[in-house]
Amino acid sequence: MDAVNTLRASAPPLKASRVRSGRRVADRVLVVASTLATLLGILVLGSILLMLIIEGVKGFSPLLFTEPTPGPGSEGGGIANAILGSLVLTTLGILVATPVGVMAGTYLAEYGRHSKVADLIRFLNDILLSAPSILIGLFVYTLMVKPMGSYSGWAGAVALAIIATPVIVRTTEDMLRLVPATLREAGAALGAPPSKVITSITWRGASAGIVTGIILALARIAGETAPLLFTALNNNSWFSANLMGGIPNLPVMIYQFALSPYPNWQQLAWAGALLITVTILALSIVARFVIKSERAR
Amino acid sequence: MNAPAITSAPPQSRHTADETSPIRIAVKNLNFYYGSFHGLKSINLNFHDRQVTALIGPSGCGKSTLLRTFNRIYSLYPEQRAEGEILLDGQNVLDPKIDLNELRSRVGMVFQKPTPFPMSIYDNVAFGLRLYEKLPKADLDVRVEESLRKSALWDEVKDKLKQSGMGLSGGQQQRLCIARTVAQRPEVILFDEPTSALDPISTGKIEELIEQLRSEFTIVIVTHNMQQAARISQFTAFMYLGEVVEFGPTNRIFMNPEKRQTQDYITGRFG
Repeated sequence: MDAVNTLRASAPPLKASRVRSGRRVADRVLVVASTLATLLGILVLGSILLMLIIEGVKGFSPLLFTEPTPGPGSEGGGIANAILGSLVLTTLGILVATPVGVMAGTYLAEYGRHSKVADLIRFLNDILLSAPSILIGLFVYTLMVKPMGSYSGWAGAVALAIIATPVIVRTTEDMLRLVPATLREAGAALGAPPSKVITSITWRGASAGIVTGIILALARIAGETAPLLFTALNNNSWFSANLMGGIPNLPVMIYQFALSPYPNWQQLAWAGALLITVTILALSIVARFVIKSERAR
Repeated sequence: MNAPAITSAPPQSRHTADETSPIRIAVKNLNFYYGSFHGLKSINLNFHDRQVTALIGPSGCGKSTLLRTFNRIYSLYPEQRAEGEILLDGQNVLDPKIDLNELRSRVGMVFQKPTPFPMSIYDNVAFGLRLYEKLPKADLDVRVEESLRKSALWDEVKDKLKQSGMGLSGGQQQRLCIARTVAQRPEVILFDEPTSALDPISTGKIEELIEQLRSEFTIVIVTHNMQQAARISQFTAFMYLGEVVEFGPTNRIFMNPEKRQTQDYITGRFG
């Protein structure tokens, strides 16, 4: 014991503690810097959200969901037509994107594993994934709106489908790749053909992840504005089932009403923005819940 | 040492090889390649009917590779290929014209890690049965129960057949995989290190099960565990660097190996 103490006493204490204090300072600086950066980020996000809630709640009333958008300068009204239009557009978009995205993702993860074509498709899909959505809008505008001579709900749905598809392709492929190869081998070892292995083993194994991808794609297109500006645009009439014409929808409504000089329209824009945000939040929570329930299983 | 054992013990004794048993699988001049890597070199080996043959050897010696040629599971990976002959009841498994799905229903496989499918216990066992046999529900129930009984799992799961197979313990999952394989009534069952992910008690159960299954099936097992090979097999092949160094009745391989390499491996001098 004494020997140990002597040894400790004979060690050069000054130098050692200086090195240690240098590290301690560096550690502190990093902790403070990263905390500040986090706070800054939360502050910006928080103030946006707070403003949205304060302004949006003011305009919240049951009338929002029952009344169509009011004419310029008039009082009252709601955004029921825009809500309905958005529901129709996103539903159509996701209905098209889901089968295409899931099948393409399945090809990439299962059949195309060893092919050059799959590598190329994956690369293009990644580009599409990060393409500015306004480009998609312009693309559909040229492809559909111009030849057909008018803005239309169909064009809007197609644009949203094009935006949602690469998200679903990517998550489907990633989730299928997480399914262990031994599970596929076990299926094949029982004499199951690849199609059977995919539909009853790997899809099932990855189902929670694939569903999550679809929900996140839905959340993504629910708030898209740019592609709809060029395609579905808007019309301030009460919603009609006519997808051949322009369709009122939340994002474009918000865009137009927020830029308008009428306080009533601006108020409705705030309420619409809050509604979209809450919807996306809800979808994200559902997605997390799906993942958690799968892990618990 | 061996000779009296053979005469005094009944032919079905656990530790006695029945060399008169017919040959179920005959491997003739088998070569295997992973891309340009020569994984198996001119393998010649016979596997006897209703006997357990253990493949032992250090990591990378090719024992799993050899096992994976018998049901051609390697063909899932395009860069892998086999040349030569593997005769299963006289029919060449490597013949490109052979129906792979039929082959795999005759040659079952159990993997190192338990691989329950993400479905109920019942559906796991019924999976293989539903592929090619259109059985009425009642018959299916009978086959599922029979398979679970043969896999010594029935008593533990009979009240929760509808629950997910993923919820079972590791050892139970492995017995579920065995039940799934047995359900198809294959002729041969391949085990690829079936207990290396399991605890000693589960391992004991699986070994006991393999011993019971021997009365009906020809069994080939790859194992890293030499004691396991000695405990459960009647024949042993020692492999090294892609070649079969020595093959024979397990008793002889362990008590009286002919080759120096075999002796060194068995006594723990390398590997």
